[in-house]
Amino acid sequence: MFPLLLLLCLPPALAAVDCNTEYKNGYQVRLSIKTALGDQAYDWNESEMFLFRATIAFAMRKFNKTEAYEVSNIVVCNQTPRVSFWFIVTSPEDPAQAISKNIVEQAVRESRNRINNAFLLTDKSLEFLGIPPTLAAPIIPATPPWLIVFGVVIGAVCAGIVALLVTSFVKRRREKKAKVVPEEEDQAKGTDKAVTGETFEDRNGVYNLGFADDDRFTQL
Amino acid sequence: MEKDERPSWDNPMQFVLACVSYAVGLGNVWRFPYLCQMHGGGGFMIPYMIMLVLEGIPLFSMELAIGQKMRMGSIGAWTAINPYLGGVGIASVITSLYLCLYYNVINAWSFWYLFHSFQSVLPWATCPLNSNQTGYLEECEVATPTQYFFYRETLNISSSIDDSGGVHMGQALCLVLAWMIVYLFIVKGVKSTGKVVYFTATFPYLVLFIYLIRGVTLHGAMNGVKYMFTPKLEQLANPQTWINAATQIFFSLGLGFGSLIAFASYNQYHNNFERQAVIVSLINSGTSVFASIVTFSIYGFKATFNYESCLERVRLLLLNTFDMAEDTISLDNIDYWISELNRTHPDQFASLAPKLDTCDLEAELDTAVEGTGLAFIVYSEAIKNMPASQFWSVLYFSMLLLLGMGSMLGNVTAIITPLRDFKVLARNFSNETLNGLVCLFCLLLGLGFTTRSGNYWFTMFNEYGATFSLLFIVLIEVVTVSYIYGLKRFEKDIEDMLGHRPNWYWKIMWAVVSPVLLISLFIFYIVDYIRGGTPTYQAWNPDLGKSVVMEYPWYGQAFIALLLATSVCCVPATALYAFCKKKQKPVPSHEHTVSAISGL
Repeated sequence: MFPLLLLLCLPPALAAVDCNTEYKNGYQVRLSIKTALGDQAYDWNESEMFLFRATIAFAMRKFNKTEAYEVSNIVVCNQTPRVSFWFIVTSPEDPAQAISKNIVEQAVRESRNRINNAFLLTDKSLEFLGIPPTLAAPIIPATPPWLIVFGVVIGAVCAGIVALLVTSFVKRRREKKAKVVPEEEDQAKGTDKAVTGETFEDRNGVYNLGFADDDRFTQL
Repeated sequence: MEKDERPSWDNPMQFVLACVSYAVGLGNVWRFPYLCQMHGGGGFMIPYMIMLVLEGIPLFSMELAIGQKMRMGSIGAWTAINPYLGGVGIASVITSLYLCLYYNVINAWSFWYLFHSFQSVLPWATCPLNSNQTGYLEECEVATPTQYFFYRETLNISSSIDDSGGVHMGQALCLVLAWMIVYLFIVKGVKSTGKVVYFTATFPYLVLFIYLIRGVTLHGAMNGVKYMFTPKLEQLANPQTWINAATQIFFSLGLGFGSLIAFASYNQYHNNFERQAVIVSLINSGTSVFASIVTFSIYGFKATFNYESCLERVRLLLLNTFDMAEDTISLDNIDYWISELNRTHPDQFASLAPKLDTCDLEAELDTAVEGTGLAFIVYSEAIKNMPASQFWSVLYFSMLLLLGMGSMLGNVTAIITPLRDFKVLARNFSNETLNGLVCLFCLLLGLGFTTRSGNYWFTMFNEYGATFSLLFIVLIEVVTVSYIYGLKRFEKDIEDMLGHRPNWYWKIMWAVVSPVLLISLFIFYIVDYIRGGTPTYQAWNPDLGKSVVMEYPWYGQAFIALLLATSVCCVPATALYAFCKKKQKPVPSHEHTVSAISGL
């Protein structure tokens, strides 16, 4: 649709093509300079427009290496204070003929990055309505990074478990060997020591429930 | 001879930290803030504190007393209290088993998110591209990137519980890691657990404190905190508020699982558990409040961010449609311009109306979320918008991990301690082997939760596995101690341990208030189940990009019944078994002697 708040038609460089009538071959461009750059925003003026036309010409030359597009081949009209306008590309040989939409689209897509950088803008702030941006392909590393961290952590945990198991196993073996020697001495001295051993342990806190239960039942 | 001596905590501080680590878990972070929001913000503190005093502290202290007195796990302790009620201990162990199975899956998800935070761009910050790189994947477009990352990349969720799909390898690996870490922490029983809890109990507080500072300094955080603390006292008239306060205290303290009995059984006989019970309960509730301040400041930040993004979208739409210079409309005068443009260009404005979002800060703050949705979707969405988001992400998921691991320690100890009390097992299996077998068993069964429909089974376990059974168990516990075992005997036991009798507060709570409260909660749950009709669950619909409500199939409902029955039926089954065994006991020998002497 054509919102027409302010119509500032640039006088067409060549009288033949009027982008109002040829809009089916044109694209609308919208810039959001102040939103993107904030304090460092520049004003949109004739020089900036010239730069824009030059970059589009560059894009067309890059795409179509045989033809020599000039700034005059880029026709702009319907500028608004929003900073949006329409442009049409005309053929260098025949200024009355507009280049078809598809070719313009492919050219812009190819050089999109250069066009954005010329204005210090991004795909979002320099919009070509109708030309979807080619989103940057994500960098897929060979090993997913999460597996690397996972590998480190699980390695550390395995090492910890093995260390704990080995130390307890070694300790138990050592205790078993140490027990074999005093047990032989015990057997020589008889059972007395064994009895004292058990009661000593009871005092240490092995709670003898049998005792306690008897107490309870008598109270009831 | 050394094998018979019961291992014990190195010092009472380890026991307190173990209880804190167990009680302070994920529920404090993701359930309490939700309840606060639903039931009138600051006003919710009133029923919460009242329930803490009436129900939380007395029941907590009772479980510690039982464990410390009997010096055995839940099965042995309850069998010693009354031979017919050993089933209470078995029911506790079974409920703990169910909890262990699904709780560690949350730790697996935390690990997954933690490992994925080590990237330059957080993977849940943007949508992945579609095949021809012209736009984003459709499922991600209709939902949000954080939801897409959780449902598609983390869970690879199927669209209903019937569609089971295969095991998600990444999740399975994380679950294996989670169980290995649990094993590492409990491999030597209380000796290793006691050292680990110094870290698991204290580090989450450090992270919460850091997050508090970060949270309140975020733009818009004050909106959230103000929203939380403005009390809506009319909510106090709603009975649901009181019920939710009671159940939150109950589940937050971890009563009925047998973990507290297990932990206390390793105490010295004269340990002052009474004071420790009060301290731990107060710390638990304090942490809930602390965590909800952090959560609400994050909510406020997220809501403000969304609100301002919404306003920005509206502003751009107006600028583009009416082709005005960029600096004419700013976020402040948007409302003025909306009315102005409506007046000057009514037709164009009317055509614009369907695309115009209404931006409402209150509505953003009102979206209350709880559970895994809060922890993994809402929080990660807020984190991705913070500066230095990778650091905050790592910190946050480490905290979740420690909270979850701390609770797991208690859960696994609740299973292992009663098992070790069986002399058969203790003689033939060493400590390390038995612990390893339990962990392996739980890991293998837990792999079922890593399938594509695993999240639906997880939700089922979460809602039905441990809620109803716990109420039943603790009700039987408190009635047994107060009436069957006898309050007088219990008082004498405590005097034996502590040197003084419990005062009137404890006795009234144990004998009267807590049983009444529990019975009313129990009745409420039953009524709710009956009135609720067929149980339903939330299934993720990839085309709509949101969850839809679906009914459980017949086998799902049968499984729910099985979950409830297996733990609840243990109590009457064991009582029956003990009764039959007593009947079959041979007649005592002294009767024979009497009959012989009298010549009969």
